Amino acid sequence: MMKRLSRLSTTLSALAALSLALAACAPAATPTAAPQPTQPAGATQGPAPTSAPAPTSVPAPSFSGTAKITFTQEPDNLNPYYSSMFFSQITTQFWLKGLWSFDDAGNVIPDLAAEIPSAANGGVSADGKTITLKLSPDVTWSDGTPVTADDLVFTYDMIMADGNVVQSRYPYEDYVAGVEAPDAQTVVVTFSEPFAAWQTTLFKWVLPKHILQPVFDQAGTIDQADWNRAPTVGAGPFVFDEWESGSHLSFRANPNWVHPPKLEQIFIQIVPDDAAQEAAIIAGDTDIGVFLSSDQIEKLEAGGNVEVVAVPSGYSEAWFLNVNPDTAHPAMLDVNVRKAIALATDRFTIVNDLLVSTINPVNANFWDSNPPFGAADLAPYPYDPEQAKQLLEAAGWTDSDGDGIRDKVIDGEKVDLQLRYITNDRELRKNVQAVVQQQWQLVGIAADLQNYSSDVFWNGYNDGGPQAQGLYDIAEYSSTPNSFPDPDSSDNWLCSAISSADNPDGLNWQGYCNPQMDELLKQQAVTLDAAARLQLYQDIQTLMYDEVIYIGLWHDPDLWSINSRLKNVRLSGASQFWNADQWEVTP
Amino acid sequence: MANYILRRLAQAIPQLFIISVILFALMQGFGDPVATLGARTPPRQEDKERLRRMLGLDQPMYVQYLVWLIGNDWMKLDMDGDGVPETPGQRKGILRGDFGNSLVTRRPVLEMIADRLPNTLLLMLTAEAVIIVASLAIGIYSAARQYSLADNVITAFSFIGFSMPVFWLALTLMYIFAVNFKRWGLPYLPTVGMFDPAVGKTAGELARHLVLPVATLAIISIAGYSRFVRSSMLEVLNQDYIRTARAKGLTRSQALWRHALQNAALPFITIIGLDLPFLLAGAVVTERIFAWPGMGRLFIDHTERSDYPVLMGILMLIAAAVVVFQIITDVFYSFLDPRIRLA
Repeated sequence: MMKRLSRLSTTLSALAALSLALAACAPAATPTAAPQPTQPAGATQGPAPTSAPAPTSVPAPSFSGTAKITFTQEPDNLNPYYSSMFFSQITTQFWLKGLWSFDDAGNVIPDLAAEIPSAANGGVSADGKTITLKLSPDVTWSDGTPVTADDLVFTYDMIMADGNVVQSRYPYEDYVAGVEAPDAQTVVVTFSEPFAAWQTTLFKWVLPKHILQPVFDQAGTIDQADWNRAPTVGAGPFVFDEWESGSHLSFRANPNWVHPPKLEQIFIQIVPDDAAQEAAIIAGDTDIGVFLSSDQIEKLEAGGNVEVVAVPSGYSEAWFLNVNPDTAHPAMLDVNVRKAIALATDRFTIVNDLLVSTINPVNANFWDSNPPFGAADLAPYPYDPEQAKQLLEAAGWTDSDGDGIRDKVIDGEKVDLQLRYITNDRELRKNVQAVVQQQWQLVGIAADLQNYSSDVFWNGYNDGGPQAQGLYDIAEYSSTPNSFPDPDSSDNWLCSAISSADNPDGLNWQGYCNPQMDELLKQQAVTLDAAARLQLYQDIQTLMYDEVIYIGLWHDPDLWSINSRLKNVRLSGASQFWNADQWEVTP
Repeated sequence: MANYILRRLAQAIPQLFIISVILFALMQGFGDPVATLGARTPPRQEDKERLRRMLGLDQPMYVQYLVWLIGNDWMKLDMDGDGVPETPGQRKGILRGDFGNSLVTRRPVLEMIADRLPNTLLLMLTAEAVIIVASLAIGIYSAARQYSLADNVITAFSFIGFSMPVFWLALTLMYIFAVNFKRWGLPYLPTVGMFDPAVGKTAGELARHLVLPVATLAIISIAGYSRFVRSSMLEVLNQDYIRTARAKGLTRSQALWRHALQNAALPFITIIGLDLPFLLAGAVVTERIFAWPGMGRLFIDHTERSDYPVLMGILMLIAAAVVVFQIITDVFYSFLDPRIRLA
């Protein structure tokens, strides 16, 4: 008997020993040197093996301190052409700069480019079909190799190569006819038709040809390139250090960058739970957090060490109205009913009660968060339930049976004015739904509230997506134009994009079709004259406003927390960490 | 014995095959992997159509299953979208050890699992060791002192522990020991992650960061398991042979340790044996809250993205582990109790 007992305890201690052994051999994605708090730049711990740059007598820059950042989602891929995730894309500002960035005031700051092309400096041709880019001769990859025009041509080739499953070919597939490099510092981009939004969308990132060309030649694709996961060569103030799956990403100072940073390390911790991120921010375990909600601000700022800043990035929360005759409630096809819905909803009180009205004011138009493209003269429809009732009466919707819900006889059948109001299952949106349901009751509209998990909510037509299939009358979510700060909007209101069994990937889920809108949207894409383009946006918004296919709820800027330990952080909506080289920590 | 094990393993092959077919069919009910691609709004129509074609998602389900099973290096793919397949496939299929590539990260699934498995095992085995030791100790103690004050207190705490939701317990522990202890100037624990970047990934840092997640996992399981140990101990303690043992002159503790525990341990081992394969799966909620980079999070993150190659990889791994651990448990049984013979 005693023998068997000892077997049991042997097993238990083996289990304990195994877990201790695991603790000892901790896994990491890349074998790197132990973290060093401060180090003289250059010499021993250079990030890339090949380099021996800058053998001058200039004193080597010194770096100190770590900025800790929490991300609620892990980037899919560090190659930004392989991920459209917010967190993949903002990370690049540390280590992979493009031609230029946008600062917190919306100014364009050259990074790889020597200057911003314009008609005045000959960078933009008169017909708008040719852009000539001049690269700065001073920028190098972190291993000391110069960044040249060949890298840009290579980047274009990789995006368009059939072997590469890149996430998006926009705008190259639609507008770019060719990219050429007449000399090492010059790139000429030709467009098939003038393309207005080139400044926001062209070469946001450049790939290192000397690293990736051999991979592509050998494998016929860069899908599996090590560089996508461990980009040890980059072009930015920091350079990749390590990425441990699910845990963290680390970047270290790049002494070879034209503007060497002050910090020694950027440490990004993946914290998927919102409440845990909140605790980490309050405890000071992280310096920067994002994807916060307005109701967290008070709690986060209570300790006096944290400031929450609102950074607009083009997003607004809104209602998208289904006007597709095949799928929408018959009342939705009447513009006066749609207007009545706007008038019957007290968005101002909702914003006051559930959000912070200074950060999230009610918006009227899709482009209000994209200055200067928003139409300032179009104010949100006021809260006017009396007028809403009159409009509904006039449209023939009356409460004939006295049940509190308006109805109308259509084709001999009594139809109740009950609208399907759908959104995802975020708590804030559920609260808004509940409030709206009560407000609508006062004018005799019933709301059928439905919530979907986010993945189902966005599903396409063939996968039963409720929006794509038109199983709704009003859909609420936060959305943005195609790009920011230049919106280059958007296919979502083109007649040709209406989703259906024949066009399952169509993104016009509202079923809106108006030839006038088609024409305006096409015109804005190819109109280079700034004033004329703003007028087109004005016209687009006036049309949407009068037709009431979009009802704005609130401006939805990104909320960031910044610990006071970290100085000089100036976040922008388009190039979030554009000035990371100037960040400092107080000791 | 060797014969028995071989026979069980042979039976496992059709079992796993059927499981894979069922799982693959169920995956089709998930969302569209290219619906958002992780962005906040859907991608452009042209990109969606191109990605679906390049990733092979436009193929019928049985073709996708075949590719997953035996690879596609025997066929050609249409990568340029002209309707004519021209590029030879590169996948080898799970039967040749290729679990496929994630639709989300484009990385080999096996690599992604290999990244997370050690972290999950570190967390789960530590927790499991704590759970086993503590539930045995508490269970035996309360059985030996049935209806004493200590037993009643333990019983009360067990019910409280057992009924606490994991996420609530995790956040409460975090706020008490990480946020408030720091604020009050007491020795505190870290909130999230595996180590502090300023210190580096040392054994000490890992241990500090393990405390709260292990405590979360352990408290709830100990509450349940110690009840289980207590009741099986009580059952054995009332048996005739214990009375015989005492009558022979053995002391109370001799009878308890030498005779009762041996027999009471068998059902407990069954439960642990059933637990072990699921240790690989990790703990979804605990890993999420404490930002522990384990398998549970890998699974849930890729479920949200309908990344079926990763999900299939993880699920098949767990299915295989269940089969293997069941065989091990059965063998272990006969080793612990010679009355049980395997044939």
